Formats: sequence, C-alpha cells, structure tokens
Amino acid sequence: MLSNNAQADRFSEVVMPHLADALSLARWLTGNATDAEDVVQDASMKAHASIASYAGGNARAWLLTIVRNSCYTWLARNRPRSIISVGDLADLDEMSAAHAADMPDSESPEANLIAKADTAALEAAIAALPQPFRETLVLRDINGLAYRDIAAMLGVPMGTVMSRLARARGLLISDLGRAQ
Amino acid sequence: MNTRNDGLPEDAAGMNLMLHALIDGELDAAAAMAVERRIAADPSLAAEHARIVALQLVVSSLPKPQVSDAFSARIAAMAAAGNVEVLRPRTTPAPAKSARTGWSARNFGSFDWRAMAASIMISAVLASGATQWAMQPGATDSFAAGVASGHQRSLLATSPVDVVSSDRHTVKPWLDARLGLSPPAPDMAKDGFALIGGRVEVIGGRAVPALVYRHREHLITLVAEPQNAGVVTDPVDLSEGGFSLVHWSDGAFAYWAISDMERPELDDFVARFRAAIVTG
Repeated sequence: MLSNNAQADRFSEVVMPHLADALSLARWLTGNATDAEDVVQDASMKAHASIASYAGGNARAWLLTIVRNSCYTWLARNRPRSIISVGDLADLDEMSAAHAADMPDSESPEANLIAKADTAALEAAIAALPQPFRETLVLRDINGLAYRDIAAMLGVPMGTVMSRLARARGLLISDLGRAQ
Repeated sequence: MNTRNDGLPEDAAGMNLMLHALIDGELDAAAAMAVERRIAADPSLAAEHARIVALQLVVSSLPKPQVSDAFSARIAAMAAAGNVEVLRPRTTPAPAKSARTGWSARNFGSFDWRAMAASIMISAVLASGATQWAMQPGATDSFAAGVASGHQRSLLATSPVDVVSSDRHTVKPWLDARLGLSPPAPDMAKDGFALIGGRVEVIGGRAVPALVYRHREHLITLVAEPQNAGVVTDPVDLSEGGFSLVHWSDGAFAYWAISDMERPELDDFVARFRAAIVTG
C-alpha cells in the first residue's frame, strides 16, 4: 500500500506530464475539446485510484489506456449510437486487409500536395475516419505510441494495428487528394 | 517466386505494411535496409513512401489541445486531496444519490474552493518526494534532492539501468565512453550486493555516473560525483521521506547512496563498498 504522499508523488510523475496527450486522444475519440476535458478528469480520477497498480513501463501508454476506456464509457452514456459493435470491427479489419492490396494508383496525390494540406481539411478527414482506424492513427501519429503498446491497449494482434494504420493513412491520403 | 530473397513480403499489401513500419521506426536494421533497397528500386513504392511521410508530418503538426493552468491545477488538486469533489467546479450540484464524500464539499455547490486552494499548496510542496531535501539550504542538499528524484524516477522507468551488466568490466567502459570518467565499481555479490548496471544521471545540470546494486528485492543507486577539491568526509545520514540516503567523499568522488532499504542495511552496503575500493 502506498502512503498518500507517495501516491501523490507518483501521480505527479506518471499522470501529470501526459495530460496533453490524454486530452488529444479524448478530443479525437469524443469529437470535441470540452467533452475531452470531462473524460480526462474521469480518467485522472481512475488513474489516481489505481496508481498503485502502475507497475512501471510506459506511463503515457498506461494513462492513455485509462483515457480510452473512459472515452468509451462516456460515449456509451452520452452517444450510444456512435459505438460500433464487435461484429462491425471484424468487418472493418477484413475490409482494411482487402484494401491494403490496392496499391497506390495514378489518382494518388503527390506528396507535396499532402504536405500543403490545410488544417481544417485534415481535421475533417481524421474525424470522418471509422473509429477503429481513427483511434489507431491518433495513438500512433499524435500520441506517438509504438505498435506493441497500441496492440496491447486495443487487445488486438500487432498485424491488426498495422493494417488499421495503413488503411487509416490510405483513407486520409485519398481524402486530401480529393480536397485539393 | 521469391526473386529478391530479402525476406520481405512479395505481395503489394504486405509490402505496403512494411513501408508504414519503416516510417514508424518499427523495423530492425536489417529489415529497414531491405525495405529501403526495395524503395530505391521501385518508383511507385518511393512515391507511396513520400506520401506517408508527408501525411505523418502534417498530422503530427496539427495544433495540440492546450492543457490550461486551471485544468492541470484541478487535476493536481484532486490528486493531492484525493477528493473527487474538487474535480467538478463547472457542473451543477450532483443528484442526491451520488456519493457524499465529505459534507463540507457541499457548502459551495459541489466545489469546495478551500479544499482546492489548500491542496494546490500541498501538491506544490509534495510534487516530488525530494522536495524536503530541496527545501533545505545548501548545494549539498539540492544535489541530494537530485539524487533522490533520480532514484525515484529510475524505479518508475522501464529499466533502472541504461547498461545492464553484472560485470564491472562492462559497466566502467560504458560510463567512461559517455562521461570520460567512471567511479570504482566493485562487484560485491559475495556480500549480497550484486552490481546490476549503471546509468547517467543529470543533477544540477551536470552529467554524473550512477551505479545500481541489488540487495534482495531492494535497489541501491550509488551516484558518484567527481571531486576536484579532494575533500574526504565520513558518511553522513541524509535520510528522509521514506528513503535512506548516505553521503561521503573519498577525495576522488563524492558518493551518494540511496535506497528504500533500512538505514542499517544501507550502512552495511556503504561500509562494504568503501572496504572493497580500498582493497582494490
């Protein structure tokens, strides 16, 4: 059992440095910054209560796992229709595996067009991604987690993380191409 | 079919995943080189690679949500107070069925500003277990605070050491290569104190070597700060806040031994370490 002081110390070292990442993830999963603050407060409360169970390792991944769970609890309560079922997920993964076979075609935009994409168009494209692709992309490209951390967090094989990520990026690339 | 013989997927879909893995730094050196060779030989792969790199760059440069001072103060206050109510300044009073954690929290809607103000001060003081040392005057004490927070951080990190070795002939050259010096690193496994490795600590803006020993389930961090003045001092006890900390100097190095062991055990370590360096 940790003393209250030790608990507070650990919280300030494990949780406080990663609040910005927590807010980013919550913002992309709930869709807006205000809801994200509510979710991150809930998540921080849970993190505080279970800080003794933090066994070392990647503190950011540990916190983001709690944030992700809080997001889905929050979404289930506030926007039940936005949650998709496990069956849909399996279909999506099949779809993403199938899609990965389509290699870049002549329609794909040039890299320098992507580099010039404006913020609003890019944010809209990310928001439009199906949720499993969006969360994988955000965890990797915004929160900077490694594949194995994401796989552990989502409870899926690493290969699934890789195909979701490839699919998410592929969708963004073709969206940005169309937006030009 | 496998004409290239480089162990990479032959199908376009598999190769596409390898491009992403390369960009994400998830491939080992051999696989990364093989993928790079494929890219160099295939303009369509090269174009896709460039697109993914460009996309990743624009995504990572999207504006990040700001952690407002008010927000992080609220979270810190909650942690310091262990009081859920301080988290809810914006919401209207909760339904009566919600848990009544402390009647005083109800006095100002659901937001007890006094608890929050007090706990912000508490969290400022307790933000690190090392603060007690930092609060005391003198360079020695702030160095001790640095040693203490370094030790605490190491316990939270994936590994408490940067170079893992029970062999001092590995640890010493590793430290030497990074710092241009290395402290004596006797292996005292026969005394029950096994050398498990070393790391570099940055304390007060200086990089200093640290050795890590294990005694049963306890870790001991031994920071060795090189000395110019050549002062020799006997061990003094600086223990506080749940850690045992002993400091002494032998003229070449000022040593700081810290552990969550009891003082007598740490004293035993210090005595054996000093004896081991003298005998060679």
